[in-house]
Amino acid sequence: MSTGAKKRIMREYNECTADTPAGMKINFDEQNMTEWEILLDGPDQSIYAGGHFKLKMTFPTEYPFKPPVVSFKTKIYHPNVSNDDKGSMCLGMLRADEWKPPNKVVAVLRLIQALLIEPNADDAIEPSIANEYKENRKEFEKNAKDWVKRYAK
Amino acid sequence: MSGPAYMPSDEELANLQKLSNEYQPEVTGPLVGERQSSSAITTEYANADPVYRVKTAALPSKYAYFRTCRGDGHCGWRAIAFTYYEALLRVGDVGLFQQEQARLKSMHNLLNAANFPEHVYIDFVDEAFELLDKLQNSVRLMDGTGADTLLQAFNDMSVAMAIITYFKLLASAWIQAYPDEFVPYMEYNQDIKTYCSLNIEAAQCEIDHIGIAALAEAIIKPAGFALEVLYLDRSPGEEINTYRYDPSGHDGNPQTLRLLYRPGHYDILYKAEDVQQPLPVPSQAPLQVALAGYTDEFVPMASNMPDVMTLIPGMYPTGIGQRWPSVSYDYNSTPAPQPQMTPVPTYAPAPTPASSVASSHQEYVTPVHASHVNHHNPPTHHSIQLEPPVTLPIHPPPPMTIERAPQMTVERGGPFRPSMYELEPGFHSGQPHALPFQTSIFRNSHYNTAHFLNPDFQPEEWSPDAEYATGNRGRHKSTSQ
Repeated sequence: MSTGAKKRIMREYNECTADTPAGMKINFDEQNMTEWEILLDGPDQSIYAGGHFKLKMTFPTEYPFKPPVVSFKTKIYHPNVSNDDKGSMCLGMLRADEWKPPNKVVAVLRLIQALLIEPNADDAIEPSIANEYKENRKEFEKNAKDWVKRYAK
Repeated sequence: MSGPAYMPSDEELANLQKLSNEYQPEVTGPLVGERQSSSAITTEYANADPVYRVKTAALPSKYAYFRTCRGDGHCGWRAIAFTYYEALLRVGDVGLFQQEQARLKSMHNLLNAANFPEHVYIDFVDEAFELLDKLQNSVRLMDGTGADTLLQAFNDMSVAMAIITYFKLLASAWIQAYPDEFVPYMEYNQDIKTYCSLNIEAAQCEIDHIGIAALAEAIIKPAGFALEVLYLDRSPGEEINTYRYDPSGHDGNPQTLRLLYRPGHYDILYKAEDVQQPLPVPSQAPLQVALAGYTDEFVPMASNMPDVMTLIPGMYPTGIGQRWPSVSYDYNSTPAPQPQMTPVPTYAPAPTPASSVASSHQEYVTPVHASHVNHHNPPTHHSIQLEPPVTLPIHPPPPMTIERAPQMTVERGGPFRPSMYELEPGFHSGQPHALPFQTSIFRNSHYNTAHFLNPDFQPEEWSPDAEYATGNRGRHKSTSQ
């Protein structure tokens, strides 16, 4: 990783700590600055309220010319998070072809939070969950809350 | 590119979409390659579709060289950024570098207006300016390393991406500042901010014609350069379609950045005259006269030796300057050591132009010598007058006089302050017959094309016009008859 990229990550981190979105905590290790651990509380107005989610944000070697990779370490029932051991979230600005080098990490954090409040079923990674979200919202909410209780307490 | 907009709920399609999003074509080769003969393109298409075959067959005669760019989705941006730097280097004017840096700095306003935070774009700006500084230094020192520095920088992924990103941000900011010029080319009712975000700023997006136009307007034309894009596609016709952006208010022949477009990919093209190739030894006589003060020590020994060496395949890479320095020029004393004398060996002869292009710094040093020679004119005039018959034309090779002439006017880095006479119109154009070939050693050697042993032998011709053109030479008329 180039020194420019490291400088950029450092600056992004400083900006994030100065302006951390509510309900979020970033664990930053200067020895391994390309992997951030993010602790995220389910937003109050969302069905994930009360849950505590652990996320990992990984900065690729090519950062900022490639997007950071976001993955949920805590299982979550969500159309935009893959239902596997990776728990990857890849949409919008996190997609390689939509990522812009000037994008800020704090904007990524806000995107994650916004997606918990309102999933994007049209750009889903889990089509069956997305379907359920669109067609049987009750069932979806029940399942999501169920998972929060099971995995995210 | 895959559009995220129409993701159907159908699982299979979604899967395909995902695969296509993640697909990365296997890309090999350098990010920016060495310059090579464009006949390679013709060969490549020899077995292709007839339309391509016809169009590429004519290519090498017009565009002698090309340079590949890796097709990793950035090639168009990369090709323009690279050729912009290369053109600056080719002009070889420290003043232009400074002018461009000042202009680019002033464009930060544009970036700010487009809401790019400075602490984010400054990283990209820093890389772009660092390379400008390096090249400018190389031009100032005339050490001939500029071309290598440039190629290295563009082959360093993080440096190159930073510069490319900087260019993209400038393009985006420019489009947003002058939307009226670009909106007509976008889809109807497309939001300009969205357009820029998806098609210009996105890290992974090929340049489109709007991006090219924006770069031409924002960066290339204001620098006094022209941009030419040749579209090699299957459209009917025998000629490759060309689109050209010319700088406004630039008379004459601006430095031209040339791109070759093949569907989905951009490479860099050069005309032969863009690239000043090294010329055969006999025509390099001006160099010897650049040492006019020391001609007594000048011994044109072993001049055919480099000939032999360059006949060996693969013996003509960039490093030639280090390989056999001063083989052909042996001067014992150099009373006034001048840094620009060091690249002398770059004049070693090139048996075939194709192989010689690999040595990339040559063209950047030639103008220096050319103009340097110029400054030595007074003494050579003097020798002309002492030996009147010598003043007759020596038939310098056409590329020397015709193509380098414009370069002389821009060169400011020599050891001599420019003379006021240089500002007079026609100063350079009046030079050819006074080209300082005429030392007695040179005149009597077979390097002189007027010497019967010269392979390009061309007898001297008396031209009354040339003879009577300058008043101060008229008095020697009687001796020359």
